[in-house]
Amino acid sequence: MTSTRTRTGTGTGTRTRTRPTPGRILAWALMTVALVATLFPFYWMVRTALTPAADLYSDSTGPLPQHPTMINFWRVLGLTSQEEARAAGGSGAQVDFLRYLLNSVVYSGLIAFLQTLFCAMAGYAFARLRFPGRDAVFGVLIAALMVPPIFTVLPNFVLVKNLGWLNTFAGMVAPSVLMTPFAVFFLRQFFLSIPREVEEAAVLDGVGAWGVFWRVVMPMSRGPLLTIGLTTAVWAWKDYLWPLLTGREEETRVLTVALGIFQQQSPNTQPDWTGLMAGSTLSVLPVLVILILLGRRLVESLNFTGIK
Amino acid sequence: MGASTAIASPRQRGGSRTGKGASPGRPRRARDDRRAAWLFLAPALAGFALFYAYPTARGVYYSLTDYSLLNDPHFTGTENYRQLIGDDQFWNALKVTGYYVVLNIGSQMILALGLATLMHRLTRSVALRAMLLVPWLVPNVTVGLLWMWMLDANLGLVNHLLGAFGVGPTGFLTSPTWAMPTVAGINAWAYTGYTALLLYAGMLQIPRHLYESASLDGAGEWRMFTRITLPLLRPVLALVLVVSLIGSFQIFDTIAVTTKGGPVGATRVIYFYIYEQAFTYFHMGYASAVAVILALLLGVLTAVQMRLLRASRSDLA
Amino acid sequence: MRILHRRAAAALLCLAATSTFVSCGSSDEGSGGTTLDYWLWDDKQLPAYQECADAFHKANPDITVKITQTAWAQYWQNLTTQLTSGDAPDVWTNQSSYYPQFATSNQLLDLQPLIERDKVDLSAYQDGLADVWAKDGKRYGLPKDWDTMALVYNTTMLEKQGLKKAELDKLTWNPSDGGTLERAIARSTLDTKGRNGLDPDFDRKHIKVYGFLPEWADGSQGQNGWGDLAAANGFRYLDKNPWGTHYKYDDPKLAETIAWFKHLIDKGYAPRFDKQSTVANSELLSAGKGAIMVTGSWTISTFTDPKVKEKLAFAPLPVGPAGRKSAINGLADSVWAGTKHQEQSWKWVKYLGSADCQNRVAAHAVVFPALKSATRKALAAHEAKGHDVGVFTDVTAAKETFPLPVTEHGTEINPLVQDAVQSVVLGQATPQKALKDANDKVNALFK
Repeated sequence: MTSTRTRTGTGTGTRTRTRPTPGRILAWALMTVALVATLFPFYWMVRTALTPAADLYSDSTGPLPQHPTMINFWRVLGLTSQEEARAAGGSGAQVDFLRYLLNSVVYSGLIAFLQTLFCAMAGYAFARLRFPGRDAVFGVLIAALMVPPIFTVLPNFVLVKNLGWLNTFAGMVAPSVLMTPFAVFFLRQFFLSIPREVEEAAVLDGVGAWGVFWRVVMPMSRGPLLTIGLTTAVWAWKDYLWPLLTGREEETRVLTVALGIFQQQSPNTQPDWTGLMAGSTLSVLPVLVILILLGRRLVESLNFTGIK
Repeated sequence: MGASTAIASPRQRGGSRTGKGASPGRPRRARDDRRAAWLFLAPALAGFALFYAYPTARGVYYSLTDYSLLNDPHFTGTENYRQLIGDDQFWNALKVTGYYVVLNIGSQMILALGLATLMHRLTRSVALRAMLLVPWLVPNVTVGLLWMWMLDANLGLVNHLLGAFGVGPTGFLTSPTWAMPTVAGINAWAYTGYTALLLYAGMLQIPRHLYESASLDGAGEWRMFTRITLPLLRPVLALVLVVSLIGSFQIFDTIAVTTKGGPVGATRVIYFYIYEQAFTYFHMGYASAVAVILALLLGVLTAVQMRLLRASRSDLA
Repeated sequence: MRILHRRAAAALLCLAATSTFVSCGSSDEGSGGTTLDYWLWDDKQLPAYQECADAFHKANPDITVKITQTAWAQYWQNLTTQLTSGDAPDVWTNQSSYYPQFATSNQLLDLQPLIERDKVDLSAYQDGLADVWAKDGKRYGLPKDWDTMALVYNTTMLEKQGLKKAELDKLTWNPSDGGTLERAIARSTLDTKGRNGLDPDFDRKHIKVYGFLPEWADGSQGQNGWGDLAAANGFRYLDKNPWGTHYKYDDPKLAETIAWFKHLIDKGYAPRFDKQSTVANSELLSAGKGAIMVTGSWTISTFTDPKVKEKLAFAPLPVGPAGRKSAINGLADSVWAGTKHQEQSWKWVKYLGSADCQNRVAAHAVVFPALKSATRKALAAHEAKGHDVGVFTDVTAAKETFPLPVTEHGTEINPLVQDAVQSVVLGQATPQKALKDANDKVNALFK
């Protein structure tokens, strides 16, 4: 698939002449509906997070909370005492979403960075280096695509457990950092498309394979590397089952797992909805930051990957 | 179109011929990078061996044992598979998973196609696309909790609004009839924007002049959609469909936080069933057998995906 | 082969780890002192046991107890997951239908030798509580509390319908016409126009207050409703208890009971199962959306909480064809066989079962402690607060209780029977068929 940005004149230019017809108005109306349907639930999440738990029965459906409060945020961030938290509708369990947020960043950052690096190395080897059995090895590696995650989750869990790596970041990221077949495949395709001349010039200057890769090819490939890295980070950010199995403990608990556990620590009578929505809001905030900083990159990265 | 010649810019990717390394790999002079290559490949190969090949073998082995995670495995032959055939919970899990996939993929693909077409014909706004992408960026756990709250029969906003129209409260996640469509809908909400963006990317590759000349010929939007967009989008559509299917079969997170397989097993999908068997009932061997079946099923789909992945590049270039 | 892989992976990942500052290898033990992980599910009891933990720490400064509360619905799932990780809590609150699975998979420490060594007097506990935890000369838990069942109702609403306490204390029930219990339920059900369930114009489609709030997520025992009434109808769960091997869920007496519950829903007296929300029945009752429900003694404080605006009171369960029957259930604390701190864990369990801790718990008036002396203190604490909770202790005095089944495969039986019961109240299956099918599956587990 091809990026649009390199082409000019296909975009906005031709559209300036289109006049608002009933059809176009309808189309924009539909688009607006889609946008509202996409974004409104997030508003509702924040609105609930700002509602005192005691008001849930009397005040759960108005457009704005009658008595807005930040208490739910403070208590999921672990800034209140157990008594205050319990009085505000929680179970009084110790939670510290700041820490979980950080754990999530470490978890997805590690996976995104290392996986991209190692897959780039492998992809480059398959694209450029000559060695016996290359295509066969590549084929075998790509065949790993056929193994669905659920199938490896169970034995990998046993493996990590036997290694004594449960509740360590090492154990949590181990199965994903070294490689993932799709990234190897994708990056190999990209490296194949780079003109060879640049590298050959470097080789003539006496630079070794590692030097060429590191100093010539990597800098040229910032775009696709960022693409792979970003999508990997997003998937890792959303991971639930694997970190649930391998990293439940406080020290390694990521946001998704923390939310699941927080839901379970609700009082037995009813889920602590205001606290849950506050925690959920916190899990969305970093996404917004990424979107604001890297929105264009991320959106355009879907132009050529997204196939995972 | 024509991207295969435009490989001058590093930003311009794709479009290259894949082949089996035929053209790109032809040596100009005999060279052997054996040593460097193995170094480059070491991490990936180690990852493959340790976390793909070895566990695959282990998984198959576990499926032939009575392994419980607490006690050592004993070889029991095909006992687990024999048990599986008579296990109506397993068949139910397959059935509800299929039901979910149909509902989820059906609604998601149609909505995404519509949304992509709207974007394609209306605007190139990056901000708009970024906003549509937000639900995909949010963890499924968050999405599940959010909708569980919005759909609550007593305090949820949706039932409140329905009540205003005289519709009585609906237990969206507690009624066996509604639970699965609701879960499928929740995930369609989360993934439609993302899927739409993928399709949109495919649409961008359709040459613009085709629409312009069709427009001059007096073709309406619907005609352009059916005559130009759909046929030319087919390879991308097929690829996105297969990828979504594979993802859809592995539904777990949303169910783990909302219905937990209930009510009365209405949402006990195969992935959740495997999880329960392995970690609640200590039937690791049996869970592995179910996983083998799921793997075979998904293996077929993945094979299709790989074919399409290769095909899509040549088709579109 | 396996070791080689392990080493290779370890080496590789530590390599990766050093470059990114991730700690590698085993977890570090804090300097001096032991931290014990202790699990319970009831958030209402958390403050009481936190107090015990603090007192325990004061007496044993080198041991800290970290309490984790997880709601009932997920407690066992979490526990099994942790057990499979080899990372279970050192001590946890155990329940009689769940513990056999852990005992047979060697996850529980045999406390018998320790009890004998430290001369713990088991006769100080309420009669029968300790027996549930023994099998083949081994003992897997030390009693901590016990509970029985009763009705809780909204006094204001029932009085308005002319139902007085004297009547409510003598309710009868049978599966064919529901006895005076059904009449009370019918009278306290109100439609949106304020007509009660006996009114000929009663609109069962638009209900404002449900007369009865049944619990359907009630596992294989129906402790919070159907189990008690089925027992009052003469139903017995299994051939012998504890450690029976043949269940009798296909007993027509149980089918009749479930059918009666279904009938309540059809009449509009009870909310439909498929319209349930995440809000628990106790909340609905406290919010005035229901009139009567079955509840356990561990929930007393939920209803006596001064924050509850409705006026609520307790009444004994109705008398059925086989008399009045309340489930009695005792919880115990168990030590994980894999704990690294066996001696400290036992010390904590012993303390939890001691008069010192149990009296503290009693003072919180949230649950009846297992020690006879502490039970009396808890009753006194309730009375001091002006709450009449005698109905829960009366049933034990009158020997109107029955113990919940204790057998192998409890964890697997739970969803089988619960699904069957739910499918009946949803109208998906007849009680006879659903329960027969479930019973066959249950008994197949014992083969």
